[in-house]
Amino acid sequence: MSANLPAQEAAHIAPRPFFRTPVTEAPLIKFTLIAIGLAFIVAMIFLPLAAVFFEAFRRGAEPFFAALVEPDALSAIRLTLFVAAISVPANLAFGLVASWAIAKFEFKGKSFLITLIDLPFSVSPVISGLVYILLFGSYGFIGPWLIAHGYQIVFAVPGIVLATIFVTFPFVARQLIPLMEQQGKGDEEAALSLGATGLQTFFRVTLPNIKWALLYGVLLCNARAMGEFGAVSVVSGHIRGKTNTMPLHVEILYNEYNFVAAFAVASLLAFLALVTLVLKSVLEWRYSGELAASSRH
Amino acid sequence: MVNLPRAAATSAAREIERHRHAPVRIDIEELGKSYGNFAALENVSLTVKPGELLALLGPSGSGKTTLLRAIAGLTATEQGTIRFDGEDATVLSLRDRRVGFVFQQYALFRHMTVFDNVAFGLRVRPREERPRAGEIARRVRRLLELVQLDGLEKRFPSQISGGQRQRVALARALAIEPRVLLLDEPFGALDAKVRKELRSWLRELHTETGLTTVFVTHDQEEALELADRVVIMRAGQVEQVGTPSEIYDEPATPFVCEFLGGVARFEVTAKDGEADVLGSAFPLEGDSDYCGPALAYVRAHELEIVARERAEGVPAVIRAVRPFGPTVTVELSVEGRQSRIEAEVPRELYSSGELGIGQGVFIRATAARIYAAN
Repeated sequence: MSANLPAQEAAHIAPRPFFRTPVTEAPLIKFTLIAIGLAFIVAMIFLPLAAVFFEAFRRGAEPFFAALVEPDALSAIRLTLFVAAISVPANLAFGLVASWAIAKFEFKGKSFLITLIDLPFSVSPVISGLVYILLFGSYGFIGPWLIAHGYQIVFAVPGIVLATIFVTFPFVARQLIPLMEQQGKGDEEAALSLGATGLQTFFRVTLPNIKWALLYGVLLCNARAMGEFGAVSVVSGHIRGKTNTMPLHVEILYNEYNFVAAFAVASLLAFLALVTLVLKSVLEWRYSGELAASSRH
Repeated sequence: MVNLPRAAATSAAREIERHRHAPVRIDIEELGKSYGNFAALENVSLTVKPGELLALLGPSGSGKTTLLRAIAGLTATEQGTIRFDGEDATVLSLRDRRVGFVFQQYALFRHMTVFDNVAFGLRVRPREERPRAGEIARRVRRLLELVQLDGLEKRFPSQISGGQRQRVALARALAIEPRVLLLDEPFGALDAKVRKELRSWLRELHTETGLTTVFVTHDQEEALELADRVVIMRAGQVEQVGTPSEIYDEPATPFVCEFLGGVARFEVTAKDGEADVLGSAFPLEGDSDYCGPALAYVRAHELEIVARERAEGVPAVIRAVRPFGPTVTVELSVEGRQSRIEAEVPRELYSSGELGIGQGVFIRATAARIYAAN
């Protein structure tokens, strides 16, 4: 357009000062910041992750799959799935109950309960494992009695399940409490006044309102349940083929310099984590739309 | 929104008629409810006549919403009884009370369409009482027709306007064939124009359905315009019950007077049941030989601005003039009084140019309500 203007006319038009909105940076700064962020992510997160897969396949696909179908590895995979299959539903149920109680009722000690739910996040996983040894170990409080009656808790599967439940305790509740508090109890009151029973209200009104947050919480809970190392390591006793979960199996293989096998199992864990991440992103996308819709409401 | 009101004098209304039961009478006796040390309701007794449109009016925290929720069974009370046609409702479950409740924020189920929202109350009925799917669909359509929302069945609550949501909430409450209809601040969340439209529409709908209806509001104009009778509440107690004209003409207490608004308050001294307000003497309400401090209230249109020459009333100075509406509002300051007085005067006075800012005039009261202060 300006190219068509006669020269003297164009000279009258003062060069437009470069304008940008106040809360922004010059392009150079913007570019530098993005580059730093990206470099950091690549160096700290992407490269290590890539290294896992690289190491796992260093000798080709055959040793990789051999490491996965070896009996001890299979047993570790089974145990990990078993532990997750118990601890995730347990914490799903607990999380629902706790957030329902916290969001919909007023009672004394509510803030204390919220703090307590967060405890597993703030406590070191080693301690999470040790408390079970203190309780159920052969020198613990009720351990001797249980062992005398034939119940082995620590250094056995029940201990691993307990430690995992403890560590993954907050995930579901943490997701649900803010959402349910924000939604209030209006919908439930409306359902009840329209003649719905308590169960109808829960399944037709409350659950649909929280389903995405709930699923999201379950996913995070599951990822952690499968990947937990610290607490499980303390209570497991590392008995090959019996009380080794996948993360523990990886450690043992690595300590035995069996790198390919170690990284093969590790890559399987990492793969599970990636799947969780993808699901999580999909959910977040869905769930943010729903949240926006409900706040417009 | 354009041609909304006109609550369908159509087949939809006849449909409601068919399901209509005799309107219910609500008797509330000595109802009490407290939150810790705070008494939300104190000894509230009230009768809602069958088929009446009753407004609960009061400032926030006066207990009007608590009372409404108690009638619905959403809030448990500690004392007293609520009877629907003589039957003790306090022992009934929410389902058995069959109360249509419209929530202030509507509480529509956001994951359900308009149709599913309205059908909810029918679908959750026990199997033996539940209408068949076709019958449910028919009733929902009729109700949506009644609230002028036909065609919006498939929309979600987030896809319709505030006024439409309000009407969905109403249709949903009516779907359960309620014995009484309760509305919590029905127009609170709407803008002024939609409010006015919905107001007259609700009045017509009430005539159509004939349901005993109670609504809560903090807007005195809304209550007086809409209701058959108005209950004025203050600090958990009933301050006055009456028809809009009774409330307006004979406010029982200084609180009612002030709450209705548009009044100037004067602290006066009464002698032998009379007190002087702006240079004229008026009788006290009630007690006729009272002597002592009293409160006088004069409404803006009961103030007269008189020309200086006649020298009646007390001197005042015009501070501001608001020349819009059928009358002109004039703000005046009177010597020895901190707050300004508002007077509503005929437009002619303004047009004739007699109301200049800063001008000295005389004002007098043509009427006043005086209450013994204690």
